[in-house]
Amino acid sequence: MTKNKIQRVIAIVLVIASVVLAVLGAVNLPKRDAQEGKDIIEALRIRTLLNATGDGVVESYVAIAKKEAQAAAKAAGGGMKAIRAAVAKAEEETRAKYENTTTDYSTLDTAALEDAVAAYAAQLEPYYAVTVAAEEAYIAEHLAEAEAKAEAERQAKIDAGQEVGEEEKVEVDMSGFVATEEMTALLAKADEAFNGVGEALKGIYPVLDDSALATLKDTISSVVFQRGDSFTVQYDRYVAAGSGSAVANGTSAFLIRYADDLLYGALALVVAAAVVLFYELLCKKLGIPRIIIGLFFILLCFMSLWYDLDLSTLLSNSLVRMGMNSIMVLAMVPGIQCGISLNLGLPIGLVAGLIGGLVTIELGVPGAWGFLLAIVVGVIIAAVAGWLYAQLLNRLKGEEMSVTTYVGFSIVSLMCIAWLVLPFTSLKLRWPMGTGLRNTIGLDSTNFKHILDDFLAFDIGSFTVPTGLMLFMLLCCFIVWLFTRSKTGVAMQAVGNNPRFAEATGINVDKMRVIGTVLSTVLGAVGILVYSQSYGFMQLYTAPRQMGFIAASAILIGGASTSRCKISHVLIGTFLFQGVLTLGMPVANVLVPGSTISETLRILISNGIILYALTKSGGDSRA
Amino acid sequence: MSAEFVLEMKNIGKRYGENTVLSDVTLKVRPGEIHALLGENGAGKSTLMNVLFGMPVIHSTGGFDGEVLLDGEVTHIASPHDAMTKGIGMVHQEFMLLPGFTVTENIKLNREVTNRNLISRMLGKNLETLDMGAMSSAARKALDSVGMNIDEYTRVEGMPVGYMQFVEIAREIDKTGIKLLVFDEPTAVLTESEATQLVSVMKQIAATGIAIIFITHRLDEVMAAADSITILRDGKLAAKREKKDTSILELAELMIGRKGEAMVSVEPREVPKGNVALSVRDLYVDMPGEEVRGVSFDVHEGEILGIGGLAGQGKLGIPNGVMSLYSSAGKVQVFGEELKLGNASDALKAGIAMVSEDRKGVGLLLDQSIEDNIVFTAMQIKGEFLNKYGPITLKSSKAIRQQANQMIKDLDIRCFGPTQHSGTLSGGNQQKVCIARALTMKPRFLFVSEPTRGIDIGAKKLVLETLVKLNREQGMTIVMVSSELQELRSISDRIMIVSEGKLVDVLPPDASDADFGLAMSGIKPGEHKKGGDAQ
Repeated sequence: MTKNKIQRVIAIVLVIASVVLAVLGAVNLPKRDAQEGKDIIEALRIRTLLNATGDGVVESYVAIAKKEAQAAAKAAGGGMKAIRAAVAKAEEETRAKYENTTTDYSTLDTAALEDAVAAYAAQLEPYYAVTVAAEEAYIAEHLAEAEAKAEAERQAKIDAGQEVGEEEKVEVDMSGFVATEEMTALLAKADEAFNGVGEALKGIYPVLDDSALATLKDTISSVVFQRGDSFTVQYDRYVAAGSGSAVANGTSAFLIRYADDLLYGALALVVAAAVVLFYELLCKKLGIPRIIIGLFFILLCFMSLWYDLDLSTLLSNSLVRMGMNSIMVLAMVPGIQCGISLNLGLPIGLVAGLIGGLVTIELGVPGAWGFLLAIVVGVIIAAVAGWLYAQLLNRLKGEEMSVTTYVGFSIVSLMCIAWLVLPFTSLKLRWPMGTGLRNTIGLDSTNFKHILDDFLAFDIGSFTVPTGLMLFMLLCCFIVWLFTRSKTGVAMQAVGNNPRFAEATGINVDKMRVIGTVLSTVLGAVGILVYSQSYGFMQLYTAPRQMGFIAASAILIGGASTSRCKISHVLIGTFLFQGVLTLGMPVANVLVPGSTISETLRILISNGIILYALTKSGGDSRA
Repeated sequence: MSAEFVLEMKNIGKRYGENTVLSDVTLKVRPGEIHALLGENGAGKSTLMNVLFGMPVIHSTGGFDGEVLLDGEVTHIASPHDAMTKGIGMVHQEFMLLPGFTVTENIKLNREVTNRNLISRMLGKNLETLDMGAMSSAARKALDSVGMNIDEYTRVEGMPVGYMQFVEIAREIDKTGIKLLVFDEPTAVLTESEATQLVSVMKQIAATGIAIIFITHRLDEVMAAADSITILRDGKLAAKREKKDTSILELAELMIGRKGEAMVSVEPREVPKGNVALSVRDLYVDMPGEEVRGVSFDVHEGEILGIGGLAGQGKLGIPNGVMSLYSSAGKVQVFGEELKLGNASDALKAGIAMVSEDRKGVGLLLDQSIEDNIVFTAMQIKGEFLNKYGPITLKSSKAIRQQANQMIKDLDIRCFGPTQHSGTLSGGNQQKVCIARALTMKPRFLFVSEPTRGIDIGAKKLVLETLVKLNREQGMTIVMVSSELQELRSISDRIMIVSEGKLVDVLPPDASDADFGLAMSGIKPGEHKKGGDAQ
């Protein structure tokens, strides 16, 4: 069999499997809201309820036996000691008798209980719906107040000279919330329904008395219905409580529960089939590295669906992260094109941009003008620093990789000293005691925080489109693209591509390398400001050290080589790199529960991608 | 020494993939004779020696045909080290000496005389003490035998190149049991007196019974030193001669030979004698491996001038120097106007275009599309193919595409389209792209350097025909530099032969093979004849 045929056969098998899954999923998904779904939940609910109340029933038996033993002992005329012994003995015996026996649920007549529970659930559901609505309204009403309070606290902290952490989501204090009339009315109705449940339970377990029922009320109501319950949540909860056997037809219940995942699986198989079928074409168009990372990204998408994570929010985050990192990745383009290969000395530009940001905060220029000022100052500093950097690179031709890496590291170290001695005076920037600038400088609404992210941003469901950020990214890409088509840009690319060719045409190779390096450094300065406005912080000291590598990896993943790149490599690479990083963490956290794994994984994934990208620095084929 | 020949290489054949570089070559060397191996570049001399020394490059590409006999016995030489132990030594063209070491140390390198000591008894042979006394006396003896009176403790660093050559020879002689020495172009870097001394040393060595294979292209040295001569041409055995039966003229003719039929036939015409298009006076070019040491010539408008010569003799330096691709000095006039040397753009602006011999290194942007390659020079030098939008100048895709399509059609560039990357094209099509780039400049004067190197026959023909067409139809003055004499003879009006960075002679294309052969080995044919008559 030829390779082509094998591919086709595999693809067909995958498509058939996908169709089967899709049909199963499509058939079973609507059943959740239909009678079958209700029946399943009902059966599980009753079983869980019986299980849960069973413990209470045992306690009742124990109480009764203890009472009887006490009475009997009293009647026998024993002293306190004898009575205590008798009671203890009776408790022990009763517990032994009931706790280790399993109830055969099939012998119980649960018809009455089912009706009562259904009625109770029917009352609880609207109660919770109304509660949620009421609470949301309350939060909406008090949000501004809470925000003002949080801001005031932050300001107080800054004034007091304490380190301000990352701004958290403002929580509205719910202590002032009062139940509405509607809620109380619904709650009363629910309580009434609960009495019916109690009666039914009494019918099954005659020993239960009212006081026992009262202690069981919270247990019962939490079993029957919880706030925000959906089919899958309830199913999972009941199964986790050990009631899985209550569903008569286990397979169909399972299929209904996982109907959505079946549909995702079907989609995944179609993707797999397409990849198998068009493998050669994809390899040719995208190159193997991009296929691998791309498939990993798609895999993460499906995994986040499988684990019921909020994919659209995650994708929205990916888009934001792509936007905030893209300009720094774009800064690699002039560097590669002018022949200094990957500009790992990018921190020069980053530091220049950070100084621009600091100047803006120092002068207290607010909003868009502040952002613009930061860019202008950053660009001017970056241009000067980039020119000096380019002189160094021109004197050390052929060793660009070492020079850029060295310069990148040393500028960060040098600036660690500079941050301590720069004469900024704003309390937002300085440590309140001692000298020097803060480690992390929080941006807020008075500076340029989210100035691009929030510009014309809109939501589609839980997917937020950061319009301003995307527009700025595309604008920068467009400007760089225009430059690559200008006479100078063409000459610069020739220098990077083949310096001897350029020289043979009388092009000043050194000058073109200076232009490329300065441009790259300037873009780095703009890039860090875009990054900071989106992140909400400016990070000084050692923070910029790693960023050059991240940007270099992103463009390599996008398909660039150390001597050749296009704007499309920037966009594809940044999206894949940041997408994998954004999706990887939550998925990894679900896979390996535990709070500390997240940071470790972040480092593992990002450095892993960097390493992989550098091994692929040859780029894809020229075809 | 029972056998008649110390070395016999019988019916040697070698191919690299599809390419046959040696076929049916036989070489026989008697003990104590100096045997010259003669041939042009690419005639197969180096490959034959690689076979003799069992170089890895031979074994890793599928071995060779035929057999090698040492002293009459069939021998398999597995590696250069194996060759050394079997008594074959080599004096390299590039000196294989350690500059920081003394002459003695270099001569005895890896064959040191050692004494055992306490540490070496425990830790092995590598830690034995050097017996410097024994080593220097052995080195002295070897140096004396090549007639060098230099102190054996001198460091090699800073020695004149001639001395290095003799140290190298001394090292080979010092090896015990040496039967055969190969000298690979030993006189290329020597002064005349050193060369004479070398020849006499070679004769001394041969007198001790050691056979010598003498690889060279200098015919006069061959006549001075060799006893018998084997001539290779195009990987085949051209002839075998005893010195007493031959003459320098015959050798020159045998070395050049006539290779195949002319690919392009051109109507014979009068050599144009119009205005001088390019006048070059005392051109010195510092191009590594192709130095030009004072060349003067004139190119007339409308002619095709060929420049020939062996590799490394400086013929490539001429166009590269005029175009200022390497640092050069001299006086150059283009169409009567002075051309300042030093910046490539000046030459381009003066209307000279060049198709470089180093296609991949200088001629092309391999990672860029065909169309970008074609218009690049015109865009940068003449500002063509650009659109202006206010202060912004952008390249004009439409004009570029039009020009590229025109060129692809005119020159028959086989490609998927103008956006294909030039790095993915075949050699011949890459060459056509280079020519297209030069033509897009609409030059009045064109340098083409090795235009047919590494391309297939069909493409060669088309390239040559294109040159002729440009010359005849547009009157473009062309200077073509080529290693292939046949090619030069087929289309040139005149042919300049360059040797050792100097102009030897200007010959008409129909001059005899012998004349070309003599010129290439640095002897002006006219003078030789005069000399011959005098004898």
